[in-house]
Amino acid sequence: MNTRKVAQGDRAFIGIATASAVSILAIASSVLIFLSYRSWSTFTEQGLAFITGSTWDSTTDPGTFQIQPMIVGTLLIALLGLLIAVPTSIAVAYFIEFMAPPRLAKVATTFIDLLAALPSVVIGLWGIYVLVPQAISWSTLLSDNLGFIPLFNNETANPQGAPFIAAWTISIMIIPIITSVSREVMSRVDKELLSAASALGASSFTTARRVVIPNAKSGILGGILLGLGRALGETVAIFFVLNLVFETNWYKMLEPRGGNVASLIVSKFGEATESEISALMAAGVVLFIVTLIVNMIATSIVQRSEERMAS
Amino acid sequence: MSTLQLVTRPLDATPWGFRSRTFHVVIALASVIPILLSGIVGIIFNIPIPVNLIIIFLPLQLIAAISAAIKTQGKRGIPDAILSVLVIFATTFVVVMLGSVLYSVVRLGLRAMSAHFIYQNSVYVTTTTSLDYGGAGHALIGTLLIVGLATLIAVPLGIACAVYLTETRGRFRGIVRFVAQSMSGLPSIVSGLFIYSVFIFSGISRPAGWLASAALVLLMLPTIIRMAEEVLKLVPGELRYAALALGAPQRRAFFQVVLPSAKTGLVTAVLLGLARIVGESAPLLLVLLPTPMTSVNVFSGEMSTLPTFIFLALTAGFDSGRARAWAAAFLLLFVVGLIFVAARIFSGKKIGR
Repeated sequence: MNTRKVAQGDRAFIGIATASAVSILAIASSVLIFLSYRSWSTFTEQGLAFITGSTWDSTTDPGTFQIQPMIVGTLLIALLGLLIAVPTSIAVAYFIEFMAPPRLAKVATTFIDLLAALPSVVIGLWGIYVLVPQAISWSTLLSDNLGFIPLFNNETANPQGAPFIAAWTISIMIIPIITSVSREVMSRVDKELLSAASALGASSFTTARRVVIPNAKSGILGGILLGLGRALGETVAIFFVLNLVFETNWYKMLEPRGGNVASLIVSKFGEATESEISALMAAGVVLFIVTLIVNMIATSIVQRSEERMAS
Repeated sequence: MSTLQLVTRPLDATPWGFRSRTFHVVIALASVIPILLSGIVGIIFNIPIPVNLIIIFLPLQLIAAISAAIKTQGKRGIPDAILSVLVIFATTFVVVMLGSVLYSVVRLGLRAMSAHFIYQNSVYVTTTTSLDYGGAGHALIGTLLIVGLATLIAVPLGIACAVYLTETRGRFRGIVRFVAQSMSGLPSIVSGLFIYSVFIFSGISRPAGWLASAALVLLMLPTIIRMAEEVLKLVPGELRYAALALGAPQRRAFFQVVLPSAKTGLVTAVLLGLARIVGESAPLLLVLLPTPMTSVNVFSGEMSTLPTFIFLALTAGFDSGRARAWAAAFLLLFVVGLIFVAARIFSGKKIGR
């Protein structure tokens, strides 16, 4: 074979790989560029009020589009969801890795990985027909007995469609994700450290606190942020169980006044006017930027912990 | 030569393995008494289950476990007892929740499930049609076509990217890796909005199947790139050097040495990417118009997929529609399960996240 042919063939091979890599960069940046371009009119017309106001009116001309309640609602639901998901996920990961018999642990690991791929529309379906009746009895109990705490106060006496219920639904979605990552990280804790701890007579609590958690901490944090990213961007499951109201609800998690950027987009998109579509795209840009930041932090944390594990 | 004689090991040679009978009795009592007691109290005073679980059962169980720990190990057993009670409590919560999802999909899904649900479409289905007619066959075909087209685009592109990351010394490796990682957090609705703004808003195309595929490609790519990169990294460098030292050009070293040894891992990567997108519904709601008819034209016209079928059957709001939604959810879960079984068979080792 003559060398020139070889060089040409290899150049083509590398060229194709480089071209696809560059196209990924192009695609990723065009997502941001295109969406910002289409929503530019909204950003200029609405100004800063777009993220600080709470009116959505497409009947006037020009319309008023402000999404503060949706942003606040998204954050509230995601944080509440994490509040439920994080302790339980870490507990399940600990159970699988350190308490369960090996055979059960193997089955559980596969199941958790499978459940991490559970379609959100299925979770939404389960949410309205199975979870909501249960969750309503819980939230009525909370507001009836602990209503004097502002957090649990519900003046409307209607428990349906509250952020609490949406948060519960979303937590079922992200528990498998956080569990899967945490279990993986816990399984990579140096076995010699664990043996050393038990040789020194450490109880399992001491081992968990002094060996497992410090070693797995940053990996678990990365998993939590991945779950947070998922919770922020979740659409359909929340759309089914949440009541969207254009009125900022900072913390009253049992009142039927919720907000969610992604669900807003789905619910308004069908019969939106042209300027409204632009506003929805602007909402998408805001959502994208928030999740992008969360993910970048998650990525760098996970990478750093992996490097530390490797060294 | 002396014959080896079996010596029975004295019991106290492994003091940690020795458990007295009282130990078992105490543990059994500590796990049975709280649930019995809280159950009886709950029935007598008619206390709602949530309250009972948190205000009566959990403290009782903690007290029981702590006293059992003191009885068997002394004071130092207390944190261990609390740890295991809380961990098992939380695990039970998760098992009940996720078990309930699977159980209700299977139980309610099988109600409307039948052979014709899989192959018939729902052209003649109205609010009053009984479950003996009509099905989600058109949605199943739509899902297969749209996901298939997305795979056809995402797999070569994703693997080529992974090749760039592992086999070349390109300048953009760091940034490509970073972008791919951050893209894995792209909210699915945003990918739908993006495709809408590029192709529909600008009037290039009407909503069609291939736009849905394009939106799914964006969601599938990061998974494939990341997993394929990890798989290719696992191929030992010596194999590459050996091929190159024998005079093989780089592309043949890749196609004849690296690729075959990474094949099963790459298949797993593709399957996990598939599992990620097959149930995706949000972007499809924006760029695809649903239809009750069977359509195999991905490039124009309306189309239905299983997720959008569920979404619409549910928002339509009547009883048979709800039953159909559950059956379609069962079908969808079955497809995801099949993908996972396939991934497990191909990978031979444990499936990553």
